[in-house]
Amino acid sequence: MNRLHPFTILLASCGLTLGMLLLLPIFALLLAVSPAELLNQLTKTEVLLALWITLLSSLLALLPTLLLGLPAAYGLSRCRGRLRHSLEILLELPMVLPPVVAGLALLLAFGRRGLLGGLLAEFGVRIPFTLAAVVIAILFVVSPYFVRRCASLFDGVDRKLEEAARLLGATPWQSFRRVALPVVRRGLFAEAIMALAQGFGLFGAIILFAGNLPGRTQTLSLALYSAFQSDPRQAFALGTLLLLISLLLLSTARLLRPWEARS
Amino acid sequence: MTGLECCLNYRNGSFDLDLDLSVPPGITILLGPNGAGKSSLLRLLAGLSRPANGQIRLGERRLFDTERCIDLPPEQRRIGMLFQDLALFTHLNVSGNIGFGLKLRGAGRAERQKIVNQLLEKLTIAPLAGRSVAELSGGERQKVALARTLATGPRLLLLDEPTAALDPAARGGIRRWLLQVLTELKIPTLLVSHDVEEAAFFRKRIAVMERGRIVQQGSFHQLLQAPASEYVARFVGVNYLSGEVLHEADRPVFRSRGGSTFLAPFDMVATGPACLTVNPWDIALYRQLPEGSPRNHLQGEVHEAVLLGDRVRLTLAGRDKLVAELSSRGYQALGEPQPGERLWAVFKAREARIKNIAAVGSAGNRPRFLSSSLTAGKQLTTLETSIREGS
Repeated sequence: MNRLHPFTILLASCGLTLGMLLLLPIFALLLAVSPAELLNQLTKTEVLLALWITLLSSLLALLPTLLLGLPAAYGLSRCRGRLRHSLEILLELPMVLPPVVAGLALLLAFGRRGLLGGLLAEFGVRIPFTLAAVVIAILFVVSPYFVRRCASLFDGVDRKLEEAARLLGATPWQSFRRVALPVVRRGLFAEAIMALAQGFGLFGAIILFAGNLPGRTQTLSLALYSAFQSDPRQAFALGTLLLLISLLLLSTARLLRPWEARS
Repeated sequence: MTGLECCLNYRNGSFDLDLDLSVPPGITILLGPNGAGKSSLLRLLAGLSRPANGQIRLGERRLFDTERCIDLPPEQRRIGMLFQDLALFTHLNVSGNIGFGLKLRGAGRAERQKIVNQLLEKLTIAPLAGRSVAELSGGERQKVALARTLATGPRLLLLDEPTAALDPAARGGIRRWLLQVLTELKIPTLLVSHDVEEAAFFRKRIAVMERGRIVQQGSFHQLLQAPASEYVARFVGVNYLSGEVLHEADRPVFRSRGGSTFLAPFDMVATGPACLTVNPWDIALYRQLPEGSPRNHLQGEVHEAVLLGDRVRLTLAGRDKLVAELSSRGYQALGEPQPGERLWAVFKAREARIKNIAAVGSAGNRPRFLSSSLTAGKQLTTLETSIREGS
């Protein structure tokens, strides 16, 4: 099998071209800022504030994502046939929604003149252009992906395991808590990290629903967008920072994955 | 009364499960071809599927009763089940697996450890305690799975083909171990199998299931003597011909579906649909039909010849199909007939057993054993020996 088939060459060249296209901009970004410059930029207050808002909002969004998403995903993986199909389509709907449209939709739901706006105003709650809006925007965009991927994780849990647990005396809740969850724990951890990473990079939904208020709703992506119009060097630094955070999260998630497959 | 009594209906794909079964304390083997509904029955008993209607009673406790609207969830039935693929928890080690049920019941660490250790000791698997279940052999996994089930003190044990997944070398050992452990337990145990060796080995009560119904219950011996159906006969290795008993020239004869006529002890048989069974080792083979023989005979072509140790199994296909078993010396004396050659199969009328069968379709009445053979005991031992040798 040493002979190089023309088709193999075709495959390799397609892959290489695409790889170049994908990796070149990343290299360019890494080369644009020197480490000293990066450090210098990153000690600026507004950058630190944006970093803080990004971390805080993503972590705050992670909580409901896990609390609501895990049981929902487990329930989804227990559905079969047509019901499952319909639920999955429902879940895909927010996924195919462009993020900007998602932001608009959120505004129409929770905004002052939105569907729930009047009701919320009566309780003195105002959501748009607050940190809560950032969290809701992240939850809206991230949770469908999270639920879907976790449902397929739970699909991988042998039903027999849970039936065995039931026969050993476990209630449905106990079989979820003591069998299904521990069996997929590494995968779940990786999914949670992916959800965080996805939240970090969110832009469109936040800028429409939460605005771009430095120190309140301005995440790293929004800060980058603002900086690009005034101080491109700072934008490059912010871009590099986001890239490094993503790389860190990605490698953590990847490190967890293969163990899952082994056990 | 601590046994299991069940009577239930369930729609199972292409056919209905319609069962009436009682399992007294001790081992009962549930035998049946693949797809007979054996695993479905276990799932119904365990509460993992729901019967359309019926009742399940375990001792004094009602587990399921459509009339009284009782349907206990699996965790309250106190039924131990050994799945075919065992379903050990991969996220726990051996001790963790065995202690799982105890932990759910709120047993403290010390108490749990004590019971787990006792079980490990009793089942002779103490060295496995701290091992990961991924590194166990097939037999060890089997033992751990049983220990896990026993830890919670089940009142009924369901074992789904416990030795099917093992390699043949390990099977014998696990079977002996299982027999010893289960015999000591004295709780009702339903062991599913489709393996004649296993049924013969356990020498316990057997319930035969076919297409969702229990067609026969009894000992292996009884199955051998009076197989209730063609499957049971094939399973224990006995020839089974269906046909009818008629009167010909004022004496009863058996006319097989293939059109051959045979004689048998007819004293307790009525005219009408019947089946004839004859043991393969009671059939003699000849190249030429012996002169003046009053015995039953059938000419046929050798279909296949299988060597089983020092015995040879020949399938003869004529008007009917008969299997004959002879010693390899007898086979040599016959000139080692090959497939395609024509031979005569001959057996004495009194070696044949005959009984009436219900018309096809109505499986309501229990089959009765009508003829007795004095040599039955001896035959049984021969078969069991040959079965073991054959393995």
